[in-house]
Amino acid sequence: MELSLVLGAWVAAGMTLFIFSFLYKDNPFYRAAEHLYVGVGMAWFIQLYTYSVIIPKVYKPLVDTIKAGDWVNMWLVLIPTVLGLSLITQFIPKISWISRYGFTFLMGYGAGLILPAGLATDFMNQIVGTIEPFANFFSLSAGAMINAIIILIGTLSVLFYFFFSVEHKGAIKKVSAFGVYFLMIYFGASFGNTVMARFSLLYGRFDTLVKYSKGEYFYATNWIILGLLIYFICEKIFFKAVKLKKT
Amino acid sequence: MRNKLLILIVFLFTVPSIYGANKTSKNELQKLEIKNFEVLDFPSDRGDSVIVVWDKENSDMNYELYLSTNETNWVKFKEIKSEDKPEPISLPFWVWENTENRFAFPVNLVKVFGLEEDKYFNEDIKNINLYAKIKSVSKNKSFKSQIVNGKPHGNWFRKERINNFVLVLLITVIFFVVVSHAKKRDLFIRKIPGLDAIDEAVGRATEMGKPVIYVPGIGGMSSISTIASVFILGEVSKKIAQYDSTIKVPHYDPIVYTVAKETVKQSYIEAERPDSYRDDINVYVTSDQFAYAAAIDGMITREKPAACFYMGYFMAESLLLAEVGASSGAIQIAGTDVDHQLPFFVTACDYTLIGEELYAAGAYISKEPMLVSALKIQDFGKLLFIILATVLSITFLIMSKTGNIDMIGKILDILRVK
Repeated sequence: MELSLVLGAWVAAGMTLFIFSFLYKDNPFYRAAEHLYVGVGMAWFIQLYTYSVIIPKVYKPLVDTIKAGDWVNMWLVLIPTVLGLSLITQFIPKISWISRYGFTFLMGYGAGLILPAGLATDFMNQIVGTIEPFANFFSLSAGAMINAIIILIGTLSVLFYFFFSVEHKGAIKKVSAFGVYFLMIYFGASFGNTVMARFSLLYGRFDTLVKYSKGEYFYATNWIILGLLIYFICEKIFFKAVKLKKT
Repeated sequence: MRNKLLILIVFLFTVPSIYGANKTSKNELQKLEIKNFEVLDFPSDRGDSVIVVWDKENSDMNYELYLSTNETNWVKFKEIKSEDKPEPISLPFWVWENTENRFAFPVNLVKVFGLEEDKYFNEDIKNINLYAKIKSVSKNKSFKSQIVNGKPHGNWFRKERINNFVLVLLITVIFFVVVSHAKKRDLFIRKIPGLDAIDEAVGRATEMGKPVIYVPGIGGMSSISTIASVFILGEVSKKIAQYDSTIKVPHYDPIVYTVAKETVKQSYIEAERPDSYRDDINVYVTSDQFAYAAAIDGMITREKPAACFYMGYFMAESLLLAEVGASSGAIQIAGTDVDHQLPFFVTACDYTLIGEELYAAGAYISKEPMLVSALKIQDFGKLLFIILATVLSITFLIMSKTGNIDMIGKILDILRVK
């Protein structure tokens, strides 16, 4: 077995167990793993943005267009780059107002992008999805017919729940309460589904830990668990002794 | 004499049969001929597609469609029988009319000829032509059509989305009408329990002398829930400033971090407590989802906040955060529009703003005419939805019974956005 593989196994098993140790209580191992995770995550994103955005979408096109004397395309790269760079002026209070140009563009672009797309998916196509089964209702099977009616009733009653312009009293209260039942049924199903998916992730981690507990990895999992246990027992005894001494 | 008579008989029998045979083959050839064979530009596209059309013959016939970009290398694109019913082109009726007596096949040049996309749109699009020919076969007789060609063009407007554009215009007009109305008098918004608890949560934090942790989620600034979250953050931090309590806002997205920083600063100024504002209220943590969750979990465990707010866009980290918050004993208020994460917030938090309630929250707390108007527009949309869905479901039921399928298709075209 290569040394790098063994080392990787120890790091993987160690980090997994350090994070799991949070289930018992906050401890220095968890803190170390947490800070390492944050740092590594940040470093990963810096290199990712450098190699997938800054170099291919800013540096290379700028160099190429300048070399080719293609001034139109150069401006098409330069303007968004300057707008992006304007965000960094946040760190210099005297000229931080420049960042507003970048942010205004970002907000406008975001709203412009999301508005028609949101209307299309959350409104227009949602109506189509609800009413489409009624277009050929009489050629549907009995089950599909019931399904279409349930979807229509469920959609309308849930919409009543999210109606904010009127007080939920009388008939509206009853309809919206009916909508809440639909919501809760959905939440229950979604909860069960996600929990199952999470368990499969957990099994994956356990599988890794079992794999690294073998002799070829020098019993990484076993030694780390033992180390953690010794630490927690010693900590308990030590703190108990300190507490007794104080009292 | 006998010979002459024989020749006459043979002549009398053979001439009509030869004439008849010629007539028959002419008829058959006419049948095999491809009528109205054209290559048309695909409407409302970016310029990489064409539509090949020709009239359908009722007789038993096989068609083989060949395509080329240079008239030399031909690709067999399709083989189809006259009785086949190919998929109709998915464009609304005001852009393209699908008829039963005509074959129409969209051809994406980039995909069919394996062209390099960047090169195609930068150079090839100006010169490329699509050539098409059809070989029609019927009862061992075949006919080759003439070669037709067409050129794809890029379009500035997507006409098939005009319905969405009209709706955006309509909503914009209604928005301005409602804003002017909202400025004149207060508009009613029903009680939202989760939001009434904000005062309770901030008050609790002040009494206990512990901080409030506000988590804006992992969405970017283009996410509607993040925008709503920033509005709520503004109102929460205003209350925090008024009560002279403390708040911590850990961030995942650097742009949201900068926007939130400005928002909190503005709230402290509006609450007339600019001196209490500190730059470390907003902290950027990381853009890695689970590292972000781990860092916030650590923060909650160590600082033991009196209240935790989770407002915005959340994914798998929702339960990781809410569970740790619940075990720390903090009062928790969550809100997201990510439907599959809502169950976790519902189970682990004291109050949960479900979907639209999150959007309504900013308006509800601030009573700002602009936000209240936006909420009223949403309600208008919901009312429109309820009316349309109810009326059209009944109409479709009647139409499907009477067999008015064309009209149903047109109504669905108007409502559906491609």
